[in-house]
Amino acid sequence: MSKSVLDNLFGSRARVKILKFIFRTHPEHFTFRDVVQRTQESEEVVKKELSTLESMHLVRRISNGS
Amino acid sequence: MSPKKRTRTVKKKKKARRVVKRVVRPRVITPGPTYAVNKEFAFFNELHALILKPSPAERGELMRRIASLGRVKLAVISGVFLNTPDQSALIDTNAPTDLFLVADDYSKQKLSAFLKALESEVGKEIKFGIMDREEFMYRFGMFDRFVRVLLEGPHEKLINKLGI
Repeated sequence: MSKSVLDNLFGSRARVKILKFIFRTHPEHFTFRDVVQRTQESEEVVKKELSTLESMHLVRRISNGS
Repeated sequence: MSPKKRTRTVKKKKKARRVVKRVVRPRVITPGPTYAVNKEFAFFNELHALILKPSPAERGELMRRIASLGRVKLAVISGVFLNTPDQSALIDTNAPTDLFLVADDYSKQKLSAFLKALESEVGKEIKFGIMDREEFMYRFGMFDRFVRVLLEGPHEKLINKLGI
């Protein structure tokens, strides 16, 4: 399947999927599990992307879930 | 009852409660950290609009993928596929399905793989419906409520070989 404009713009298909998920879910909260399940991406990839989004303050951690 | 005795019983109760808590705590499943989008993000509105904007190119791609599922007579998109962010709440509640297909001959395996992939791209669960041509024409002819709500609400036909 060809890459969409957004995939090219953001440099990663997974990143766009994650962004779509989090904006669709907004204003609800979500967990790491939710993202992995919904986007069908690997835990590794999701972990990396989430920490990137968190470090640029687009995503914030609400609770640590202990 | 003397005051001394009363305090003692209270203390005992407190102790008992503490013990119960300790027993319960390990049973709680840890869901992991919870996240949310930060609304204070500098480009929140712009990014939100950009990410959720339906694009014409995506629609063409979607059409090709649906057509490859089998002999699809009718493909109607609604709800999540038509959303622009500002009206998402409005359309979401009205649309009975996001994707509706009429097809006689299709592979169930292909279909479920397609839906799974589609949900991962859209970022949301997709309300989906499928009928064979005979059932659809019957329901269409008798002004079935489901069919009527879908076709009278905001929707777009990606494939229409039934001439409706």
